[in-house]
Amino acid sequence: MTIVLNSRGFKLPRLEKEKFVNLLHLGLDYDRNAGLFSIKSYNNIEKVIETVGVILGDEVVFQQTCIKCGKSFGCKECSYIEVCTTKFLPFSCVCPKCLRGQSFEESLAKF
Amino acid sequence: MQKQSNLLWVEKYRPKKIEDVTGNDEAKALFLEWLKNKKHTRKAVLLYGPPGVGKTTLVMATAREFNFSVIEMNASDTRSEKAINAVAKPATSYTSLDNFSGAAKTGGNVLFLDEVDGIAGNEDRGGVNAILKIVEESLVPVIMAANDPDIEKLRPLKKVCLLVRFHQVRIPLIIALLQKICVLEHVKAEFEALERIAQNSRGDVRSAINDLQSLSEENHSLTLQDTMMLSSRNKDISMDDTLRGFFSAQSIADTSRLLSYSSVDYDDFLLSVADNLPKRYLDATELAKAFDHVSKADVFRGRIGTENWHLLKYFFNALAEASAVNPASYKPFTFITPPIRIMTLFWTKGKRTMLDAICDKIGAQCHVSHQIAREQYVPYIRLILQKKPKSPLAAWFKFTPEEVDFLVKMGRF
Amino acid sequence: MAASEEALMWVEKYRPKTLDEVVGLKDIVESLKAFMRNPKTMPHLMFAGVPGTGKTTLALAIAHTLYGANWKSFTLELNASDERGIDTVRDRIKDFSRYSRTGFGGDIPFALIILDECDQMTGPAQTALRRIMEVGSRTSRFILICNQSSKIIEPIQSRCAIFRFSRVEKQAMKDHLICIAKNEGYTLVPEAAERIVDFSEGDLRHAINSLQTASAYKEGVIDEKTVALVIGEASPMLVQKMIRKALYGDFMEARKTMYDIMGSFGFSGTEIIRQIQREIFKMSDLTPTQKAELSGVIGEYDFRLTEGANSDIQLSALLAQFAKFGKGIEENYAEAK
Repeated sequence: MTIVLNSRGFKLPRLEKEKFVNLLHLGLDYDRNAGLFSIKSYNNIEKVIETVGVILGDEVVFQQTCIKCGKSFGCKECSYIEVCTTKFLPFSCVCPKCLRGQSFEESLAKF
Repeated sequence: MQKQSNLLWVEKYRPKKIEDVTGNDEAKALFLEWLKNKKHTRKAVLLYGPPGVGKTTLVMATAREFNFSVIEMNASDTRSEKAINAVAKPATSYTSLDNFSGAAKTGGNVLFLDEVDGIAGNEDRGGVNAILKIVEESLVPVIMAANDPDIEKLRPLKKVCLLVRFHQVRIPLIIALLQKICVLEHVKAEFEALERIAQNSRGDVRSAINDLQSLSEENHSLTLQDTMMLSSRNKDISMDDTLRGFFSAQSIADTSRLLSYSSVDYDDFLLSVADNLPKRYLDATELAKAFDHVSKADVFRGRIGTENWHLLKYFFNALAEASAVNPASYKPFTFITPPIRIMTLFWTKGKRTMLDAICDKIGAQCHVSHQIAREQYVPYIRLILQKKPKSPLAAWFKFTPEEVDFLVKMGRF
Repeated sequence: MAASEEALMWVEKYRPKTLDEVVGLKDIVESLKAFMRNPKTMPHLMFAGVPGTGKTTLALAIAHTLYGANWKSFTLELNASDERGIDTVRDRIKDFSRYSRTGFGGDIPFALIILDECDQMTGPAQTALRRIMEVGSRTSRFILICNQSSKIIEPIQSRCAIFRFSRVEKQAMKDHLICIAKNEGYTLVPEAAERIVDFSEGDLRHAINSLQTASAYKEGVIDEKTVALVIGEASPMLVQKMIRKALYGDFMEARKTMYDIMGSFGFSGTEIIRQIQREIFKMSDLTPTQKAELSGVIGEYDFRLTEGANSDIQLSALLAQFAKFGKGIEENYAEAK
């Protein structure tokens, strides 16, 4: 099983103080009212994913945001996943549909 | 439509607006937040990440949008002292440096140090200190950019800088960008061709756009076939394939392109070319000519050393000339591999280690370096021991029986 | 077995231990002696000059003068071309100063660091060295040894008293060789001495090593023939073979011989090219004009060799030039044969 998270807000089980501090140190933000974590700094993003993965005891992946249609989508259907150095990191991208969906003429009309 | 054919597409399509900078949204956001924050918690920011992902572009687009001027210093070109002086004397150098107020529309200045890893990367720690000094003395915010993925070297900057990490731009984003440029340039491109360019670019938008331009500008079309030349950027391509491309090249331009895309190790490639050259050019005059070019390439390689990578193009050009001495005479041949020097030198690792040990012992007794021991002592000691196997010299040098045996047998064909 | 205290390599055995024993180099020795009268006044020193002209000898003599028999405890000998990087150099110097300081008595003014082949160091490494020198100058003095002082960065040069060593005079070298031979119970024939002197081109170390090797061939008299044998076996004959193969148009074989020479003798490209230059002029089957022409070509590649990255590529390129040259004079060779 893989856990899919949304970078703008996700829940984690109650943590020991040390682990919590470490997460904040790695670049997470915590909204006390909503009880949600979000990502503030992406400098140590691989480490963040690894740590969260350990906490949740499972593989953690983040959803992508498509810059064309605005929808969230997963990396699983992407054909470049083998060579992607930022797979599963919560960045924006172009979803497979938007990438291949447009014909030349369609895109011509757009610009 | 205005004709701008002589313009590099990377320049032509360099985003003017922040939102048009492709990819690295999180880095962009972090950078903008820093810029907008009037009381900069940290006076400087360091944008770091692989080349061609938009660091400089972002800075320029931001300047345009926020209407401030960028005082650019190329850290690797400028003597740091001069640079410091330039910043330390604002009254004479620049007017009203102190009215910079973040996002204020009134403008202002920022100092931009590009390629700081260039000076910080020196073995000498002075480079980083020079940067720290610039940051300390600068009256305006300082933006820095670094390519080096090895951020360790720049660690001392962490205290004074906000670090903003850039990642490789994702392939789909690059494809989308290339599609857009194709539309604007009226290039009819196969999706698979753009895909291939994007994959080859390794997240480097600049190189992807350059590839697109070089492959499609002439014909306004781009097929997957056209991109085959790019295959050598792919790490997995063998030395053989690169050599084949090199030796069968029809023109200097062919080779230049091949070489600039290739990721084979330059040094290995240079040696392999030298090894195989006599099999390519059977005529003595042609061979001499080709070797002359290879020799020049080697000179450039020497000048490049570990620092002067801007000379790489001359290295490529010289090599390219060697490939094009007489394209018509090309006939396929089997390459000499592995490199000839390994084949003929009989130097196994064990023997090398033994010679090293021998030179160590000579160095200790005779106060000379390894090199001098090897050149001026070993050949003679070898002869002495061959003539007088029982010479007390062996004991004086504390040679082991194996080492004596090695020396006695050395150099006999 | 002989006692191992006495040096058995003649170069070491006849290396002067004190400044007084040094023959020649009068001006330099006088200046150094002046420093030795009040060692505290001694600045960092830089010895520059071609190999085998006494730089290391004088550095060691200073160590002897300063510290006597115990010199090794207070002297750190480093070779820049042997150490892996400036960090290693830095660490070793640091360790050494820490260790040697504990041994300082009242009359030991400082520790001595002899750094050989400084000109092999890169610019950044030299900058780091400069810093090391600054930090360490209270407790230690440096003697920097190099072939060309111009390759040393200005700030280091300006911190040192620079002494330039010129090639050992032919006659002085000849006398010295004959003297050593006599001491060892050999008669060195003047012509043989001449031959060694010519061969070693002002490098005393090289000359003495050839002499000692010649002595291993025959008891009593070292004649020209023996010397020729030593010199011949040292590789020039192979070099001639290589040149001929190239001139006859067999580039592949010529290159193979080149690798044989480099491989079996451990010679550098510069050494081989110097030998090529020398051998060309010895070859009777070439006309003076041809020699001059080839010499020009050799000069070009010799220069490229100093700037290039791979000496065997430069040598191969030179051999290819020979092959092209040989193609033009093929008939002459056919006759000569």
